[in-house]
Order: sequence, then C-alpha cells, then structure tokens
Amino acid sequence: MEFPVFFWAALGWMMFWGVLGSIATRYVYLHKDLDTSSTRLLGSMMGAATGPIGLVPLWIKTPEITTRLIIFATLGTLGVFMTAFALADPGNLCVTNGSFVASQISNGVIIGIIYGFMALGLTLIFSILGVVSFAHGEFYMIGGMVTYFMTTVLFPEVTPIVGIAAACILTFMLGALFERLFLTPMYDGRVDRPVEYGILITFGLAFTLQYFVQATVGANPVKAKRFFDFPRLRLPSAEDPWLIKTSRGNMELFETISISNPRFTAAVMCILVFIALMYFLRHTWTGKALRAVSQDRQAAAIAGINPDRMNMLAFALGSMIAALAGAMLVQAFSWLPQVGAIPALRSFVIVVLGGLGSIPGAFLGGIIVGLVEAAGTGCIPDPQKAASYIPAYGMIVLTLTLLLRPTGLLGRKFASGTHGKF
Amino acid sequence: MNKKNIPQMAGAALIAAFAIFPFVYSANDYPYIMHILITGFFYAILASSWSMLAGYAGQFSFGHMGFMGIGAYTTALFSHYLYLTPVPTNLCTEFPIGDMYLIILDPIGITSSTLTQDCLRQALDIWDGSVQVTPMPVWLGIALGTMMGGIFGLLIGLLVLPLRAAYLALFTLGFSEILRATVSAEIAVTRGQAGIELPYLFDNGITLFGHQFDKTDKLPPYFAMFFLLLACLGILTWLAKSKFGLFVRALREDEDAAAALGVNTVRYKVLVFVITSMMAAAAGAMMAHYIRIISPNNLIILQMSLVVAMAVIGGVEHFVAAALGAILLEYMLEYLRNSFEIGPIVVDMTTWRLVVFGILLMLTLRFSPKGLLVPMIDYFKRGHVRKETMAKRNAENTP
Amino acid sequence: MTNLVVHDLHKRFGGLQVLKGVEFEINGAELIGLIGPNGAGKTTLTNILDGAIKPNSGTVYLNGVRIDQLAPYQVAKVGLGRTFQVTRSFRRMTVLENLYVPAMALDRGYSKARIAEKAMEILEFLTIDHLRNEYAQALSGGQQKLLELGRLLMHDPEVIILDEPFAGVHPSLMEIIYNYINRVNESGKAIILISHQMDSIFTLCKRLLVLNGGVLIADGPPDEVKRDPTVIEAYLGTDEDEDMHHDAQASQA
Ligand SMILES: Nc1ncnc2c1ncn2[C@@H]1O[C@H](COP(=O)(O)OP(=O)(O)O)[C@@H](O)[C@H]1O
Ligand SMILES: [Mg+2]
Repeated sequence: MEFPVFFWAALGWMMFWGVLGSIATRYVYLHKDLDTSSTRLLGSMMGAATGPIGLVPLWIKTPEITTRLIIFATLGTLGVFMTAFALADPGNLCVTNGSFVASQISNGVIIGIIYGFMALGLTLIFSILGVVSFAHGEFYMIGGMVTYFMTTVLFPEVTPIVGIAAACILTFMLGALFERLFLTPMYDGRVDRPVEYGILITFGLAFTLQYFVQATVGANPVKAKRFFDFPRLRLPSAEDPWLIKTSRGNMELFETISISNPRFTAAVMCILVFIALMYFLRHTWTGKALRAVSQDRQAAAIAGINPDRMNMLAFALGSMIAALAGAMLVQAFSWLPQVGAIPALRSFVIVVLGGLGSIPGAFLGGIIVGLVEAAGTGCIPDPQKAASYIPAYGMIVLTLTLLLRPTGLLGRKFASGTHGKF
Repeated sequence: MNKKNIPQMAGAALIAAFAIFPFVYSANDYPYIMHILITGFFYAILASSWSMLAGYAGQFSFGHMGFMGIGAYTTALFSHYLYLTPVPTNLCTEFPIGDMYLIILDPIGITSSTLTQDCLRQALDIWDGSVQVTPMPVWLGIALGTMMGGIFGLLIGLLVLPLRAAYLALFTLGFSEILRATVSAEIAVTRGQAGIELPYLFDNGITLFGHQFDKTDKLPPYFAMFFLLLACLGILTWLAKSKFGLFVRALREDEDAAAALGVNTVRYKVLVFVITSMMAAAAGAMMAHYIRIISPNNLIILQMSLVVAMAVIGGVEHFVAAALGAILLEYMLEYLRNSFEIGPIVVDMTTWRLVVFGILLMLTLRFSPKGLLVPMIDYFKRGHVRKETMAKRNAENTP
Repeated sequence: MTNLVVHDLHKRFGGLQVLKGVEFEINGAELIGLIGPNGAGKTTLTNILDGAIKPNSGTVYLNGVRIDQLAPYQVAKVGLGRTFQVTRSFRRMTVLENLYVPAMALDRGYSKARIAEKAMEILEFLTIDHLRNEYAQALSGGQQKLLELGRLLMHDPEVIILDEPFAGVHPSLMEIIYNYINRVNESGKAIILISHQMDSIFTLCKRLLVLNGGVLIADGPPDEVKRDPTVIEAYLGTDEDEDMHHDAQASQA
C-alpha cells in the first residue's frame, strides 16, 4: 500500500528540526565557549525528537553533554519515528504483529553479531596497516566457497569443522602472501600515495579473486547443507513448549520468536571465535604486540616488535575473519562469486559507525546495522523493493554517522591524518 | 627535431589514424572491429575523466559509473516516457506546448495486472493510424543526461567535501550501489533488470560525406563517440593547462597548504566532481543510445573496476594515457575472449580474461605505479630535466 | 600600515582549553618572536589566525577586516600567510609549479611572463633555481623548507607567520633563511617567528611574545622578557644553554 502523506510530512518535520538543531546547537555552544564535540549529534537528535520544545531549553541552559543525554534524545527520535510509522500504516505487520517484531529483532541481533564479526577483521587490518581492504568481501566469498566445496561436494561425511578450518587456513595464507607481495611497498615510502595505493591494490585483488572464483567454479548459485542439526527440545514440557521448541532446522522461543538453525550456529561460532581472538590479543605475546603496533607503531618498533611481521599477521588474520564469517553463512544464504560486495560495503559502514579501530564498536555497529536492515526488510510494505534496497539501509546509517558523529560511536579520534579529516 | 614534441606528434598521428580508419578498413569483421572501437572510445571517456578526478584531483571516487548510469537512464527515461502529439490523448498526463501536446506516459513496468498497454498505445489504438506521434530528439536526451550528471556531481561533490581517501572511496561506492538498488527496485518506472530500450543514436539515418547511412550502420556512432572523446580530451587538456589543473593538483597534494595560499579548495573540489560527472554522464547517454538498452547490470562494480583498471594501466595521472589504455585494453579484452584448447581441456576465456586483467592491474600498480604508458611519455617530456639539474650541479661544484 | 589586532581568543578541543584569552596587536613591519613550551598553543594560534580553525570566542582584525570567521583562502587574500611546522610542499608538482599556485590563486592581474620572472628571481635568492623543473619530492628536507618560504614570497602577504622554520634545517641553510626573514621584513611585512632556537630569536626579533598554557604571559623587547620572572619560571629556565641543547636534540628527533 502507499504511504500516506502524513508519514512523509512527519519525516520532513523531523529532518527540518534535526538539521536546524545540529547547526544551531553547535553555534550556541561554540559561542558560549563550551565543548562542541558532541553538539551535532545531540542537537540533531533533540531537534528530531522534540522540535523546538527541547531545542530552546537546550540553547538557553546549554547543559554539559553527557552520553546519557545523547542516548535519551536518540531514543526519543526513534520513538517519534516509530509512532509516525505506526500511525501512517496501521495495518503493517511491524505494527500489528508482536511476535513478528520480536522475531525480526532477535534475528537482526543475531545476524548483526555475524556482521560485526566480519567488520572486526576490517578494523583489525585498518588499525595495524592503515589500509581499508576493499577485498574484504572477496575473502568472505572465498571462505564460503571453500567451505561449501569441502562440506557439500568433496567430503560430505566429514565434520564441517574441517571445511571451515580449511577455509581459514587457505585465506590466512592467501592474505599473508598478498601482504608480502603487494603491500610491502607502502611502508617504506616506495609508493607516492600509500593510502590510495592501498585502496587500488586491494580493489585489484578483489576483482582478480572474484573472477578467478567465477572462472573456476562458475556463476551458478550454490548452497551448503546445514552444518549441525538442533537436538529436539521441548521445554518445559513436550506437550506445552512455551520456552523452547526446536526442530532440526529451526528454533522457537516463547512460541513467538523463530530463529533458523544456520544463523544461530553461525552467531554462536562467531562469538566463540571472538572470545578466542580476545584471549589471543590480550594474553599472548603476539597479540599484545599487535595491539601495541596499532596504538603506536614507532614505540612498538623501539620496544623490539617487528611491525612488518605484524602487518602480515594483521592482514592475514583480518582476511581470515572475513572468510570465517563467509564459511558460517554459506549454510544460510545461497552463494555466488559476487556475493561479497554487499557484506563488504556493510562492513565498512559498521566500522565507520562503530569507530575505526574499535573492537567493541564493531560489534555494537554490527548489531545496529543488523537491526536497521531487519527493520527495513521487515517493515517496508513492498517486500521485493525492501530486499532490493538492502545496500541503501547501510548507506543511510553511514551518511548519518559521517554527518553527525564522524569519529563513530566508540572511535578513537583521528584529529587529522591521511585517512580522512576524522 | 625536439624530443619533447614526440608525444604530441604521436598523438596527432593517432587521431588521424582513428579518423581515417573507418574508410580504409574493409575486412569482413568491419562491424565487429567498429563496435570494439566505439566501446573503446566510451571507456576512454570514462577512464580519462576518472583520471582527472582521481589522478589529478586526488578524489578516488568509485561512483563514476553511477554518473554514467545517471546520464544513460536520464536519456532512456526521457525518450521512453515523453512524446509529442498534435492532438491530446485524453488518457495520459499531457501539456499543450505551442500547437503540440507533450505526453507523459504512465509507468506500467514490464507486466501490470491492470494494464497491458500504456496510455499512449491505447490512444494510438483509438486513433488507428490517423495521428503522427513524434518521439523526443535524441540529442536533447543526451544533453539532459549530461546536465543531470552535472547536478548529481554537484550534490555528491558537496556531500563528500569533508571526506578523504578511504572514506571518499566507500561513500561513492555506496552511492553507486544505492543507484543500482534503486534502478533495480523501481521496476514500474525503470523496468528493473529487464532494462529500458532506447532509440537509435540516429534513428532516421544520417547523410555524411554525401553518403546515406542507415540507423544500424556503425560509422555515424563511431564518429559521434570519437568526437565526444576528442571534445572531452580537449576540455581536460585545457583544464589541466589552466590554473584549474594547477589548483586541483595542489589540493591533491595538500589541501590545507593550498587553502593557506589562497586556493578556494571547496570550489575546485566540487567543480572537478561536476565536470568529470558530466563527462561520464554524456558518455553513458550516448553509449546507451548506441547499444540501445540500459539495465542495472551496467552499474555493477565490475564496470567500475574496468574503468579503474584501464586508467591505472594506462596511467592514472595522465588522462591521455588513461584514454589510450582504455582503448587498448578494450581491444585486449575482446581479443582474449576467444577460448582455446590445451589438449582435451577447453579454456573458456570469457571469465578468465577478467582474471588476466585483474592480475595485470595489480602488477602494474606494484611495479609501475605510474601506469604503462606514462613512463614512455615522461621519457620524452621530462628526460631533459634531470640532465639539466645534474649539469647545473656539476658546474657549481667545479668552479 | 599593517595592523593586526587579536582580541581575547579562546579555543578548546573537547575538554582541553588550549587558548585562554590571547590578546596582542601588531603595528607596521614588526619582527616578532613567538615562543613557548611545546603544547603552549603556538600552532593552534597560527591555525586560528590563518582561518584553518575557528576560535570559540574572540576576534581577529587584519587591516580593519575581521578574519577570524573567514575560510583560509579568504584570509590569504586579505593578506596573511603562514608556513607549516611540518613542511608541506606540493610534492608531486615541480618547484616552479609550487610557486605558481599562490600567484595564480591570488590573481593580482600579473602576466604569466611576469609571474615566471618573479618565480625565477625568488628561486635564485633561495639558491634552488637549478631545481626549478624537479618535482618537489626530489628536494631535500631543507630545500623543501626553502621552497615553502619561496611560495610565501609569491603570495606576498602583509603578515607572515613562520612556524618553526629552523627545525631540522642544516646550518648551511640557516643563513639563507636569516637573509630571507630580514629581507621580507625590510620590504615592509610583519613577521611572527615561532621557534625554539633562542639564539635565532634573540638575534632577529625586536619584540617577543611568550605563550604558556594558552596564556600570553609576556610581550615586550627581548631583553625585558628575558628578565621577566614568570617567563623564566615557565619557560626559559635558569640555564639557557641547557635549554637550547635540549631543543637541538628535539629538532633532530
Ligand atoms: N586538532 C586538535 N585536536 C585536539 N587537540 C589539539 C588539536 N590541535 C592541537 N591540540 C592540542 O592543543 C595543544 C596545543 O598544541 P599546539 O598549538 O600544537 O602547541 P605548540 O605549537 O605550542 O607546541 C596541545 O596540547 C595539543 O595536543
Ligand atoms: Mg607547534
């Protein structure tokens, strides 16, 4: 059905006050000689949520901007937006069907964890090498492809862990090899513009890998079989399962939320690997060295760490993380050589949203993007359009982030530098 | 003869060669070769304007194909939805213009459950051949497409002002993905994946050099595209030699320093986006009329990768080299299409050639980052500089 | 006559108050040294004067024009030029092209030939004329600093701020920079010289500004400032030689 004018009018109203709030609040704080670093975000959210009702007191009292205040205003904006949506389209599933909403939200969070995990690889590469890898999506694709061939075509009897491990090892080695062959000139001034070189060379790698895979396996979609089946569960009792009910491919919680097996196992796997990775980064010498290099390259070098080796490790590890995300999701989605483009773009969005270089930021960003996509695909009335617009949801998040909080939610501040003004 | 002038003379010879080629070449594969060259010119416009944007101004945008698509879709929608008739249809949205009526067709998409024909076809059925309908002129569509490219270039240019390097690349890539998503999703208007058909570039044929050419002949579009390329290269050369070129290179090297010396960096950054987007849009609009269909597949990242690869392999900081690289590589891509056999194994080259292309791109970046053609041009144009410096230095050291 | 009035500048970055009410005035072709410990806010002050960042409050007037809210390129047109603490030449443009950028940007209506002539004259003065067609990246660090100074001559502003022009420069080039500063100053331009090299400052400047923790703690002739107890406590220390020694090390690092 068509959206009534009401919705667009409400959106226009919110945008007007949001824009006005972000500009004017900054101006007011600047002229009262106060900290202006969060004024854009707070001003726009306050404006969008309350219009002049909240903005005018804000300008008069100019309170110190706390995280709590920002969260408050943001929630207010979300609330107003959802109310406008509900009033505009009262028959929508997202408005009428509570269990649908609960399912969308939990599936959004679950897929968001996997997105965040994949973005983590990108953040790792960026914080060590200062490169945004444009081949991240292709490593994701290869991870899935290798796993598919191992688990479904070549060795269907063997446990899928072997297939996943093979994908990890292969992409790790591929990443390390690429870094040695093509990224080393960036570090010692052999290329004029290292950042642009990094973009182009990884772009070239993406292109090569994508068509190499297409040339070898063809362009037909494939899909791996489910890795693990759920055990049959009926809790609290077989007759009246209101807590958990599982079939082999699906799980139902509280008789409302339905979660498919592949996504669930993928998310669990990602969390396990994430914990292992955190252990590696915090408690092993190599991991600590990696973190040291990401914080201060020169100091780390003086302390006896070879930053060159860390570059190789970071690129290989980051690429492997992307591949692992692909290996997990190949059982959930059908797989093509082109399948990496959208997840790659999404990872960039998440990394910028979370803050370049921030690990918790990657997960937070992943979950937010997962939720936004779930809302977009679930609530836009025409489902075919809703699916086609998937890349757009992330871009809206990206645009808002860059406009309102360029350092990302939890990002370190890049006062200046080659990667952007931020 | 001055060594410095060799590149110029080679360029002039090349232009002459391309200008007479259609008249002297007469082998059986004439239409095929002409098609490759037209496509080559198309990519040459894109690669050279991208090299102005990325190589000269340092704005590594991956949205160039998006602007191409904007040009192509503008003219496609324009010619698809707008017509002139002498009498009102009373079915379509229509406005009187002079003694004609401007008809705007209703978008019915590919299949519509309620309608099988758009409003104009219904009207034509009623009129039963008594009324002559005039389509919109193709050149006007191309001009509109170019303008639309400029408008979007302005918008995107303003949006990406504070962004640098990776942020810019990501944002522009996202822009072109959104465009592709929109075109694929709005099936009612754009016909989605099926694509929109366009009229011929010269729908009524054209008389050139006293010879009547049919609308399917390759020679008129060849020269149309060739002159568009020459015009673009001419404008780019002029820009590069004027203060525009000086300023955009300065802001590529160091935006803050350029601003501190009085360069209005905002204006030139936006301007370079607008100009190069218009070129991409013009090329897209003309190409769309030549191949006569535009679909979202023309906007996939592969297309952008091709342009980037062509520019880089030719020489990303030299738009003539980028243009030449595009023509050569387009030819190479077509040439490599031929599959071959090694014993019993048939190697299907349609995809492998892209792998070859990607590897070539990576190797060029790694071992000859200035591209394959620019070092040759530099050898002639800048060879004397080092000699001069050394001579002066030696003269100073031996008083 | 050149007149720069800086009034009550405040600047903060997030929670960090970097400038706290900086206030001074320049009248005519003064040669002023601006000193202060690292992090005192010297570069921040330069950035504000040049328009690269906006102050939270306060005003700057140059010859009657308010410049603190203008964009850098507009400030350049009003007549303020600066060099950067870290050399910022246009690395992949030739030395001559580097000089043409300000000449073309400010567009004073000179002919191309006149601009080229002036550029050559400047390069000869700076002793890098033989490198005119080389890319700036082929120049040594010191030569790039000279190039940056040359660009400023082409720009020809009323007020020039030199942010640590001696840092990391070979002694043989020092003299050229000395000559440069004196020549520019004698041609009627006001110069603000930021440096840690006390001997250079004391030889060249007739007036000193001392910035400490974002506050201008002294403003006067060098001899007076040298004896000012607050300055001694904050910056100069008791042993001047030791301080210079320290600075030499810092600039090498
Ligand atoms: N863009 C910025 N963001 C945050 N802090 C900054 C920024 N620029 C400078 N600072 C801080 O302001 C203070 C003054 O810096 P600066 O003006 O460079 O000092 P000086 O040039 O006197 O050594 C320093 O503590 C520095 O860390
Ligand atoms: Mg400083």
